[in-house]
Amino acid sequence: MLEVDVGKRLGSFHLATAFSAGDEIAVLFGPSGAGKSLTLQTIAGILRPDKGLVRVNGLTAFDSAAGVNLPPQERRIGYVPQGYALFPHLTVARNIGYGLSGLDRRQRAQRVQEMIGLLGLAGLEARRPRELSGGQQQRVALARALVFRPRLLLLDEPFAALDEAIRSTLRQELLDIRRRMAVTIVLVTHDLAEAFALGDRIAVLDNGRVLQQGEREDVYYRPASRRVAELVQARNILAGRVVENGADGLQIDRQGRRVKGPPCPWAAVGPAVDFCIRASQVMVVRPGRPANPGERFNVFRGRVVREDLGAEGYLVYVRLAGSEQPHDLQIELPIHIYYRLNLDTDKDVDVSLNPELIHIMPASTGGGSASV
Amino acid sequence: MFDIDLSPLRLSLQVAALATAICLVLGVALAWLLARRRFWGRGLLSALVTLPLVLPPTVLGYYLLQVLGRRSLAGEFLEDAFGLRLAFAWEGAVIASTIVALPLMVRSAQAAFEAVDPSLENTARTLGRTNFAVFFTVTLPLAWPGVVAGTALAFARAVGEFGATIMFAGNIPGQTRTMPVAIYDAWQSGDAALANSLVAILTVTSVLSLLVIGRLLRVPHW
Repeated sequence: MLEVDVGKRLGSFHLATAFSAGDEIAVLFGPSGAGKSLTLQTIAGILRPDKGLVRVNGLTAFDSAAGVNLPPQERRIGYVPQGYALFPHLTVARNIGYGLSGLDRRQRAQRVQEMIGLLGLAGLEARRPRELSGGQQQRVALARALVFRPRLLLLDEPFAALDEAIRSTLRQELLDIRRRMAVTIVLVTHDLAEAFALGDRIAVLDNGRVLQQGEREDVYYRPASRRVAELVQARNILAGRVVENGADGLQIDRQGRRVKGPPCPWAAVGPAVDFCIRASQVMVVRPGRPANPGERFNVFRGRVVREDLGAEGYLVYVRLAGSEQPHDLQIELPIHIYYRLNLDTDKDVDVSLNPELIHIMPASTGGGSASV
Repeated sequence: MFDIDLSPLRLSLQVAALATAICLVLGVALAWLLARRRFWGRGLLSALVTLPLVLPPTVLGYYLLQVLGRRSLAGEFLEDAFGLRLAFAWEGAVIASTIVALPLMVRSAQAAFEAVDPSLENTARTLGRTNFAVFFTVTLPLAWPGVVAGTALAFARAVGEFGATIMFAGNIPGQTRTMPVAIYDAWQSGDAALANSLVAILTVTSVLSLLVIGRLLRVPHW
């Protein structure tokens, strides 16, 4: 169990992060410069916050009110910084054993061998870090941080420097290791796919603040604000005005078009709201086919204005009829669906927004990006 | 040339070796302080350490006479309390050489410490090792090439020290007459043959010494 609530002023940047993590992998997700690494450093004891609290499994590591600030040596928190910070002048074995100075030689060798076995580093014991591949370096750093059985493991962008191919393997390994070592992990990443693949819980950081924290599905499908929706790449983030709020859902007016939304108890009739639907959840209605249950509402005519081919499929940009925007909706389609739909640029298309999949957010107040 | 008095050579090496040893310990400590700590008066300390590079050695020798000379407060105290006389003694030559050589050691070592990625030290501290242990197992080994370079420079400067030494320690045969002083003395007294021999001996010895230092403080490969 980890509790963090720290404040720190660094020049013009103001860090004010508060989040908690249970017995799992917690991901700090956010753009670069959001304060993710600084937050990790306050947990590790490398950066002293101006005020606040850091508590790890009952250990108070920092508490400005009580005047507690344990040095990193007394926190027993494993820390793998960006770029791994392996000691370039030490062999793999001595890197891994660095934190075991309290043990005798035989015990130390045994614990190092344990980690070498666990992380598949056999045969590399005598190498120096610069003689290792990126993936091997990352594993040595993990082994070094885990060998002294930390109460918490902090990973700062652990996969950022690696090829896409090895990344998914190492992610899987990390999950395996976590299962075997039963250690709480806080992982920092700016990569949404990584955050989603690894995080049981995700805290979204932006500009030094936690905008939202919760189960990954909550953050991904039910962002708390327009800014979070942007960061989790909901892609279709729209603004409108609530004109009706009934038991079976909302009616939203968006530029003269009625959009049916899900039930939303907190939304008052009249004021503006933001709403979003992920690009993968927008449906294209196949002409001449009976509509699926989800396609009965919010069917709009539009025109394909652009198509981007990605690794997993197409991203199709649609401008709705009568709209003056460059495009109103982005639709993510697997390649086989895209071909079955026979889409093309400048073709007309009917799209459908399932009200159940629309997520309503309070209207963003000033700043940020302009409403679409 | 075989009946040359070699006591200046012995004295020069002795003075330079001792001054270099002091520079190594003091210089590494100062360099680390300047590279890694932020404290009040840091800029002033840095300027003071560098000052001997700027001032003529004779000025340094003059300052030493004022501060540590026999009629200064500190000089009197040292002589009364410990029977230690620095001015016009070989120990004074060590002090003069140390002060003149120190900036070279500090500059070189400071740059080396600054080049060590602090995240290595921070990570080492999270692994439970004391700050002291981290310094000797991570910081110093990684800065070692710079420390070795600084040591070689300091030794070279100490061997060649002349101005501050002659002001503060004087030119007493067998006691404070180091090689540079002896060479100057020989030339002044018209003994060009002696001057030539001493110059040759000093040159060869210096090259050999630098080779030995490089070997003793071998830079590890990684």
